[in-house]
Amino acid sequence: MLAKKVDEVSYHTEISQKVIRRKRNLTSLGNSMLFLGPSTIFFAITVVIPFIYGIYLTLNKMDSPIDAMVFSGMLNYVNAFKDAEFWSSLWLTIKFVVATVFFVNLVGFGLAYLVTSGMKIQNSLRTAYFTPNLIGGLVLGYIWQFVFVQSLPALGEKLGISWLKLGWLGDPHMAFWALVIVTIWQTSGYMMIIFIAGLISIPKDLIEAAKIDGAGAFRRLINITLPLMVPSFVVTIFLSLKNAFMVYDLNFSLTKGGPFNSTLMVSMHVVNKAFVEANYGTGQAEAIILFLIVAIVTGIQVYFSKKMEVEA
Amino acid sequence: MTAKKIVASTFVYLIAFIALACFIFPFILLMINSFKSNGEIITNPFSLPSHWDFAHFSDVIAKMNFLVTFKNSLLITLISTLLIVFFSAMAAYHMVRKPTKYNKIFFTILVASMVIPFQSLMIPLIYIYGAKLQLIDLIPIPLLICFYIGFGSALSIFMFHGFMKSIPIEVEEAARIDGCNTLQTFFLIVFPMLKPITVTIAILNVLWIWNDYLLPSLVLNNETVYTMPVQMKVFNGTYMNNWELLIPAILLTVLPILIMYMIGQKSIINGVMQGSIK
Amino acid sequence: MVNFKALLKKSTLVGAAAALTMSLAACSGKTSGNAASSDSPVNIIVTNGKGEIDAQFKQAAKDFMKANPNIHVDVKSSAVGDTLNMYDKLTASGKTVTIAMFDPYSAVHKYKDVGMDLSNEKWNAETTYALKDANGKVIGFPFAVEGMGLVYNQKVVEKATGGKFDPFSVNTQDKLKALLDKIKASGVQYPVSYQTEFWSVGNHYSSLFLDQDSDPNVILDKLKAGKMDLTKNAVWNGYYDTLNLLTSKTYNKYGDRPLGQYYDAAHVAVGKGDSAILFNGDWAFDSLKAVAGDNFGFMPVPVDNNPDNPLNNKIAVGPTQVLVINKKATKAQQDAAKKFLNWLVYNQAGQDFIVNKAQIISAFKNNPNKVTNPLGVAISNAIAQNKTMPFSTNYINPSDWSTIIGPEVQKYIGKQESRKDLAKFLESYYKSHQE
Repeated sequence: MLAKKVDEVSYHTEISQKVIRRKRNLTSLGNSMLFLGPSTIFFAITVVIPFIYGIYLTLNKMDSPIDAMVFSGMLNYVNAFKDAEFWSSLWLTIKFVVATVFFVNLVGFGLAYLVTSGMKIQNSLRTAYFTPNLIGGLVLGYIWQFVFVQSLPALGEKLGISWLKLGWLGDPHMAFWALVIVTIWQTSGYMMIIFIAGLISIPKDLIEAAKIDGAGAFRRLINITLPLMVPSFVVTIFLSLKNAFMVYDLNFSLTKGGPFNSTLMVSMHVVNKAFVEANYGTGQAEAIILFLIVAIVTGIQVYFSKKMEVEA
Repeated sequence: MTAKKIVASTFVYLIAFIALACFIFPFILLMINSFKSNGEIITNPFSLPSHWDFAHFSDVIAKMNFLVTFKNSLLITLISTLLIVFFSAMAAYHMVRKPTKYNKIFFTILVASMVIPFQSLMIPLIYIYGAKLQLIDLIPIPLLICFYIGFGSALSIFMFHGFMKSIPIEVEEAARIDGCNTLQTFFLIVFPMLKPITVTIAILNVLWIWNDYLLPSLVLNNETVYTMPVQMKVFNGTYMNNWELLIPAILLTVLPILIMYMIGQKSIINGVMQGSIK
Repeated sequence: MVNFKALLKKSTLVGAAAALTMSLAACSGKTSGNAASSDSPVNIIVTNGKGEIDAQFKQAAKDFMKANPNIHVDVKSSAVGDTLNMYDKLTASGKTVTIAMFDPYSAVHKYKDVGMDLSNEKWNAETTYALKDANGKVIGFPFAVEGMGLVYNQKVVEKATGGKFDPFSVNTQDKLKALLDKIKASGVQYPVSYQTEFWSVGNHYSSLFLDQDSDPNVILDKLKAGKMDLTKNAVWNGYYDTLNLLTSKTYNKYGDRPLGQYYDAAHVAVGKGDSAILFNGDWAFDSLKAVAGDNFGFMPVPVDNNPDNPLNNKIAVGPTQVLVINKKATKAQQDAAKKFLNWLVYNQAGQDFIVNKAQIISAFKNNPNKVTNPLGVAISNAIAQNKTMPFSTNYINPSDWSTIIGPEVQKYIGKQESRKDLAKFLESYYKSHQE
């Protein structure tokens, strides 16, 4: 509202170039404030300022989050780099990221493709596929504990499949895959929603034209749909990367890091360090290191995939 | 040809139903278990209840102070989502149309902020807004809404940013020649064309805010302002959870979202139809 | 396209104005303030670490306020799985917690600067469980007494032994093995359901060996000084011999893969009588009662074959939660807090809350009430018969033991490492954690 039509007026009036430029600058400043202002302010007060304060905390020695601060320089970072369990849990998390990002996107896209293909019941299906998102934390962990600890072994017993007979969560490898499976199950419906928005935005005439040209369903998918879905994939791959790197709730409720910390992911390690074992400063420093690593990985992903976006 | 088609569509339906079974079973479990006692739940969560007992629901409604809690959740979720969607769409529009250096940097910072581990912000947040500014006591709900806008903007701007590019710039130019200023162009021309992604973003935000536990558990210290997930903790025990109350409570929390999503569905479809007329 | 412009202007204005007002309302609107007015009543915040008694605790606070209208008690319960505990959260956000509930170890270590001296409180005469700090001053009011040992299903065990079963008759490893065999012979394929939560195999089971000295700190000091060779310590080895027995394929329901999330499943099995024995504390009844109304009791965990060894004849019992009054609270708040603690000990309603409502074993002799849950009864009886030893978990750092040592014990149970490795790990842990 600060800038009224100044832009347009300039097309019709004969004023010196200087004035126009100044007015333009003012207008664009006004517009910037108007369009970016609210987001910037809220973002600054909730994320930027606390984050900077959080970095300041890492330069202090604090055992518990309510300890008095004693300046300690880079000590917390030195401790973090020396913490072997931090790095081993990070390595495990990277494996988890690789396993989940691929499957979550594959299944999510598959579901979205399925429910936009024109089936009669597709609306109900969309709602149904999306329900796992609604059930979080504790109960999710409980339901799946029952599946992995009791139901699958019972099934293995009945069908005589030996590797199914024992509870999954007691074996390091199977417990890891249990986490992967539940993650796919829980987040692919979420990704589906984002894919649906992309799929239904694809102009129908393009698809029709390809049909008339005789392109089969598979060719249409590869040559038309997928290239136009890049903006969706930028978002979903980013989100699945981020979710996998940050996984905590599921880790806590399903395996608690066990058996013997073999499924302890990096977020849970950081939380344990900062809030359970009295090592708040080091935990906070590890959180900052984790942030840097994930920011670099996702930054590269977003940078390269944004380049692929089809410009309209 | 027709035979082939029938086989193909049967196959598609088969996949759809297998997926359906996989995805919906926890919800069904929640439903059947919401009528059972603790003992029945932990001995066999997969069986049907021996008798359909609605007592747990009424117990939950009483113990959760349901009306107040529900109202808090609704208020916080709706206002936050509305503001997030508006502000983010505006910001994303500006960034896409005016890719200045500042805007590019801001965008990068926003994207990066999404990977900040929330646990590292917990202490700073309550220290700054609790101990220093006393806002946690004074205005818990508005403060929480501000936090949601702050935390939610990043993802929403990020998503709008991608889809904004598919809006043909020619339409805007036409509007400009007709004499619309930037704000008018945005709200009357661009925003309506973003409907599918707007609805999606709104749904994702509602979903997150409605179910969020960590942030409100930091900011809300009083039962009169609790949201549903925070209030639900009364059913958690140190060694064993009170499943017979926890499960109906979760069901009551989840249902509004499901209903909202079904309504949102229609919006998406209408959005597409409008788009295709253009 | 004709009315377009007019429409444009109007709706833009409305939209923008709405957005603006809302954003303003969001950040400046004042809701009903819950900040206390400082003059008349004294406000005290009490943190409750036992989430499951939240409702009872709040009711107790109400009853107390009715009797003391000039004091306002605000109970804040922790939720299980909260990243940040209630005391830290409130303190970091600038509040003063007047009465804090801590586990005894945290009260004298991590939070040693919180508690004020309570040595001169009257209730000290009624209890032997008051918590003292390093200087011998009482700082902790014992809120809950709990115990741990081998929980058994009485029906299943008595069916196997024929006739009344005395849990204290099983006072050697051989007698335990004989009992397991008898239960097996009676048709129960797996007499033991061993669940392996970190806190159970770590904090609880693996600290029992500290009770070989009547003061567990003696052993700990030796460990810290590096003067303890665990591999040569008979008691330490003895407990792991017993653990091997309990988790063996012959007797343990989960013997083929002893690790896993078996907590609920194990309690269901023992509760229903599919199995007979598990290792846990009296809180196990919460899970057991969900499936059965059977009677349950405690056996000591035998450590060797000497029936006269006190360890074989006693159950570990002690205060697991203490209340601490904050030094930083105002004098008026501290006085109100003391009043509240006295109310818990001497007032009928307070006594009723602790024992009858919350089903907690009172640490105070003057409390006439008795808990009704069978595991609580078993603990009370053991106390009355003087068959208890210190709750060894209270002497170790509970958070380290569940995140650092618990996983190592799991490795041992899962045969991923030898007993020697475990001993070495524990010794080196104590060398590097001196507090």
